[in-house]
Amino acid sequence: MIVKTLTVTNKLGIHARPAGMIVDITGPAKSDVSIVFEGSKANAKSILNVMMLAIPLGSEVKFEVDGEDEAEVVQKLEKLFDDKFNEEPG
Amino acid sequence: MGKAFPIINREVSVVEETLPESRIAAEEQLFLKAVNKTVAEINKIKEISESRTGLRDSLIFATHLMILQDPGLVNGILDKIRKDHKNARWAVHVVLGSYIDKFEKIDSPAMRDKAADLRDLYNRLLGAMDDSGPVLEDVATDDGVVLVAHEFLPSFLMTIKPGQVSALAMDTGGRTSHVAILARSLQVPVVSGLRNVAALIKPEDTIIVDGSGGMVIVNPNEDDIRRFHERQEVYERQRRELFTMRRLEPMTRDGKYITLHANIELPTEAEKVMDFGATGIGLYRSEFLFFRKDAPSEQEQCEAYKQILETVAPCPVTIRTLDAGGDKLVPGITSANEANPFMGWRSIRVCLDREEIFCEQLRALLMANMRGNLRILLPMISGLSELRRAKMLINRCREELESRGHKVAAVKVGVMIEVPAAVMLVDKLAKEADFFSIGTNDLIQFTLAVDRTNELITDMFQPHHPAVLSMIYQTVMAAHRQGIPVAVCGEMGSDPFSVLLLVGLGVDELSMTPWSVMATKKIIRSMNFEDVRETALTVLTMDDAESVNAYLKAKYAQTIKDLGISSLLGDDGEKQN
Repeated sequence: MIVKTLTVTNKLGIHARPAGMIVDITGPAKSDVSIVFEGSKANAKSILNVMMLAIPLGSEVKFEVDGEDEAEVVQKLEKLFDDKFNEEPG
Repeated sequence: MGKAFPIINREVSVVEETLPESRIAAEEQLFLKAVNKTVAEINKIKEISESRTGLRDSLIFATHLMILQDPGLVNGILDKIRKDHKNARWAVHVVLGSYIDKFEKIDSPAMRDKAADLRDLYNRLLGAMDDSGPVLEDVATDDGVVLVAHEFLPSFLMTIKPGQVSALAMDTGGRTSHVAILARSLQVPVVSGLRNVAALIKPEDTIIVDGSGGMVIVNPNEDDIRRFHERQEVYERQRRELFTMRRLEPMTRDGKYITLHANIELPTEAEKVMDFGATGIGLYRSEFLFFRKDAPSEQEQCEAYKQILETVAPCPVTIRTLDAGGDKLVPGITSANEANPFMGWRSIRVCLDREEIFCEQLRALLMANMRGNLRILLPMISGLSELRRAKMLINRCREELESRGHKVAAVKVGVMIEVPAAVMLVDKLAKEADFFSIGTNDLIQFTLAVDRTNELITDMFQPHHPAVLSMIYQTVMAAHRQGIPVAVCGEMGSDPFSVLLLVGLGVDELSMTPWSVMATKKIIRSMNFEDVRETALTVLTMDDAESVNAYLKAKYAQTIKDLGISSLLGDDGEKQN
């Protein structure tokens, strides 16, 4: 299992679109992926769970990725956060 | 007026049942089929919306589809059916309902809004499981029904066919909400902010929706109906009267001609603009082409611009270059990560920093200008160097195209006056620009230092503040000294009192939403230029916006009332003051 902590740097935080982009990565992955924020842990394959965390700008979130493609999933998530979710409108 | 057609309301229509084992498989199937049906429905709406708006990859539909595949949601519902032996409708009600409740409690306005999307899905799923449930496609009455709901989503309104719906009534929303704006463009009366209308109205109730009066009458008595018909007649008569004069000149009684243009957001709107009596397009906001996942190619842009330019040729079309940033984020270009986005990296600043994007747009514009009726408008100009650099790039693009053997028609280049610095330098700008267009929203915001998105200070956003009027007046004076025209393209152009003032201040062109053009024409034809000029010069010396408004009201309220356009101004007219 890989545990990776990432920082949210886009202004609106993890709203609907970024949540969707996370699930785009975690959903098809073979690994189990959890997202931990302020002590709450949620299934990162569920867009509703990810959105409900309402993660704001500047937060640290922890991903726990466990499975055969864990390295690849972590790498994609890192890139997504680095790119600030490409900052779409909305 | 019409029969009520409530869109399902989750509090009332679902009954809990505990089922025998033998029926569980069927309930599971019912739910899964409903998911598939809903996915198909959303894809269909997505298609319709794309063809209507020309926009792709809308966020709302992507999120809806993803929520329908959410493992927590789907398994939660299936568990409720399999383990608790509940009926599918109840399972959806309980499981999705609990998500809705949780979203409503989230301490983030953006996330709370998502509860609306969940309610939309809730209604769709329940609707898909219930053959007798209201599916709008099945409704076909000649009168058109009145749709009643807690709230409508834009996606839903996109599916309404002309004639199918006579009015909308909803619990939520304000006059400036997206739904209200969409409904107006569909020309369906809407009353919003009714708080509990969805719970009170039953199917088959007869409802009167009075869009301009902002009220709803349920099961009206004969008197109500008679009064409604009278009001409707007045509205229809006023509309017809205006329509007969749409080909008349927008000229004051003493012969001063004011050019009336329309603002559009979508290339497809260009067609109807001329029907409303406009003689050109005063503002096409090109950033609407960019609100999608991938930036439009030069070719795609060229096609979109050509569609507008050819549709209204030989009438002029003002296309504003990419005005990204502020509250309009464009994917892959601007970012939301700014403390002061309205004063940040936006608009012409972005274009001059990202020359490759700007030049693509400029080449597309120049290539599309086959008929020579294009006017390029540069937004957010705050000084001479920006204007010079933009004009240099336009020339460079022209030379580039000519060297490739294209014939490029002449084009006028104008400056948007919306930053106070531009007004301070307006004499110099006037020497190098072909026209000015005053963007009233930003000019008011920057002149009065009032963030127009901040609800705490909405009452300080005063279009008739003497400081704002003085800015406009100085701009007009400088332009006329150089012999170039001045347009106003903000919503100020469709408020009767503002129209009087702007004409009095010497503005040559007004550009507004298409359906305001006819009413504005009538106002202009009723006024005397000499009189409104005197009024404008008088209010310029006043101390505050309150005095200006009181003066205008005392002098013109009766005249405007006598014009007989009250029912057409509706809430649009009030909003401006």
